Amino acid sequence: MERKSSEGRVVPLTALRGGETGTVASIRSGHGGGVGMGWGFERRLMDLGLTPGTKVTVVKSAPFHGPLEVIVRGSRLALGRGMAERILVEIEKE
Amino acid sequence: MTDKKLAIALAGNANVGKSVVFNYLTGLHQHIGNWPGKTVEKAEGTLHFKGYTIDLIDLPGIYSLSTYSLEESISRKYIAVEKPDLVINVVDASVLERNLFFTLQLLELGNPMIVALNQVDVAKRKGIEIDVGKLERLLGVPVVPTVAIKGIGIFQLLEKAIEVAEKGKREGRVQVRYGEEVEKRIADIVDAMKNVRSPYPPRYLAIKLLEGDEEIVKEIDEAAPHIALYAKKLAKELEDMHGHSCSTVLTSERYEVAGCIAREAQKMIPPLKPTVEERLHSITTDRIMGYPIMAFALLSMFFAIFALGNFASELLGNFLYGLGPLFLKIIGTGIVGELLWGGVIEGIIAGATIALPYIVPFYMILYVLEDSGYLSRIAFLMDNAMHKMGLHGKAFIPIMLGYGCNVPACLGCRIMETERERFLAAFVTTLVPCAARSVIILGLVGQFVGIQWALALYAFDLIVIFLLGRAAFRILPGEPTSLIMEMNDYKLPHARTVLKQTWFRLAEFIKIAFPLIVVGSLSVKLAEVLGWLETIAAILSPVTVTWLGLPSISGITLIFGVMRKELLLVMLAALLRTTNFAEVLTPVQMVVLGLVAMFYIPCIATIATLVKEFGWKKALSITAFEIIFAIGLGGIASRMLAPIL
Ligand SMILES: Nc1nc2c(ncn2[C@@H]2O[C@H](COP(=O)(O)OP(=O)(O)O)[C@@H](O)[C@H]2O)c(=O)[nH]1
Ligand SMILES: [Mg+2]
Repeated sequence: MERKSSEGRVVPLTALRGGETGTVASIRSGHGGGVGMGWGFERRLMDLGLTPGTKVTVVKSAPFHGPLEVIVRGSRLALGRGMAERILVEIEKE
Repeated sequence: MTDKKLAIALAGNANVGKSVVFNYLTGLHQHIGNWPGKTVEKAEGTLHFKGYTIDLIDLPGIYSLSTYSLEESISRKYIAVEKPDLVINVVDASVLERNLFFTLQLLELGNPMIVALNQVDVAKRKGIEIDVGKLERLLGVPVVPTVAIKGIGIFQLLEKAIEVAEKGKREGRVQVRYGEEVEKRIADIVDAMKNVRSPYPPRYLAIKLLEGDEEIVKEIDEAAPHIALYAKKLAKELEDMHGHSCSTVLTSERYEVAGCIAREAQKMIPPLKPTVEERLHSITTDRIMGYPIMAFALLSMFFAIFALGNFASELLGNFLYGLGPLFLKIIGTGIVGELLWGGVIEGIIAGATIALPYIVPFYMILYVLEDSGYLSRIAFLMDNAMHKMGLHGKAFIPIMLGYGCNVPACLGCRIMETERERFLAAFVTTLVPCAARSVIILGLVGQFVGIQWALALYAFDLIVIFLLGRAAFRILPGEPTSLIMEMNDYKLPHARTVLKQTWFRLAEFIKIAFPLIVVGSLSVKLAEVLGWLETIAAILSPVTVTWLGLPSISGITLIFGVMRKELLLVMLAALLRTTNFAEVLTPVQMVVLGLVAMFYIPCIATIATLVKEFGWKKALSITAFEIIFAIGLGGIASRMLAPIL
């Protein structure tokens, strides 16, 4: 998906631990990558500021595979886990 | 004196303070209804200022002007097509960048506009200082700093609004400049569209065509299909260049501009210590502590409401019912008097003794929780559990509303994103025992069988909700959505807004539920006067007596309980000629009756709401299902409980 070759690793947002920050690489759309899942979740994420290249910090996740709390562009969002898995972020290699 | 008229719209993200500003400006001169034919709330109000009659409209809180939600599409159409004289963009100063993203889209629509830079107090506490003059220059529109909850800046906002609306001024504002390759294509499309007529500005149309906005594409496709095709081709070129969809590219660039403006206009010195709000947020969303805190908060809320409500309801009921003899003395005890009192007035009293002592405090507390921001934390904590029913965390909010009254709860399902989810949420919501049903459960089972049995019913209800919700989720076609929700900072709720919101909910309840309660009550009375009750009881006895093991007259109460849920107890008492139910009913019968009343049907007002929101077919299928389910369950329970109780 990502064409730019870069130093970092690309992982789903859910792979970040609390306190870790990544840069949004892309958002995998659902079901065969067709234009938008029924409810346009990619658009919503973008509209809330999760555009490619944006820094996103995971604050914590709710227990038992619950939603993630993230900080994006100074606002605090709750993101369902299923969807957070589709957000691919690049993290710096330690 | 004839006033000049102005139409002003408030627009902005959710939770920025639009409603507080709206309430400040319009006082009680407001009207909350629906957008024509839509299930989206529309708040309108009027005010008089400097010789103007201003029609103010509070648009839904949205994050974008694309058309992926009904709210967005309605707001955009209103602004572009109805063209209000002025748009007041209310902005949360503490989340400037995200808010300016929306501001930039409003600017693209080209209406006269000013910005209310609200919540500057919150921003200051977070260490954010905004240079208003600079922001004004960067945006090219007037910016008025406000603290809406204290009324600070509201007067200046209004003055500025009039000034700008009079001038209709719109030059000098920024336009987002996209990358060169994008701008070139926008210009090409604008060129090609010279002959296209539309309420939207050409540049806006071009941008939306590139983004593939469904509504705009459709509009242009009808007017000039070749242009739509051409735009699609250009969009494809951009996609190939960037490796992202064209709407992603444009959104990113718009956010870049918003970020630049925000960074230039604000200075940020984060406080060294986490603020109180911050710490409160951490504890209340804690992986471990969050849940007991939530349980404690909700249980104490319910307990307080039902303990106090019971007391207040009895006082109020005693007083109002006590007026009966006086009334009958005046009207006479003939059939008219009896129908009027026993049908109409007692219906109103019954409604009042539920609405005032239970529903009003319930909504007040709930709005305090909402305004403070705690509801969104609860949605965060409950997301996981809700997913098991194919819903997400936000659905927990209508479920909680349901414990007050199912009518607003069904309306509250509008916060869900898709039709399918609204319906699913409404279905589980109708299984939640509302205040009236709680009165039955607590007053019958709780009082005469034991409070532990009443609590067991509530717990059982939760299990049933969970299982049925899960089953419905499996059966209904379509895919589940996920939680996407902003968690705003905790705030001190604004008393006036809370009171007003509660008042409007009450008004809604009175409007929808009261007429139906009265009609229901009247028909019960009529049946009684006509002597139909025995016949009805006899017809129903195979179900009530044979299957449920209840006394035959309970059939009457079940039928008419649909009209007025809380009437069940009152009627039962009247028919059995005692309020000490333990004398006439066995514990098993009381539990079964409580159980059936809990599930067997939402009341007629709820059915009416379901019809309004989802149409006849869906409303009736929910109703039919719940009747069959409740009766089936009741019979099983009657057999299973017999050896225990
Ligand atoms: N501290 C502070 N709180 C505010 C201000 N304006 C609104 N609020 C609070 O912010 C929350 C959201 O306000 P509301 O008017 O409901 O937002 P809306 O969604 O835009 O209508 C409420 O708790 C308000 O009391 C403000 O200027 N300062
Ligand atoms: Mg509002």
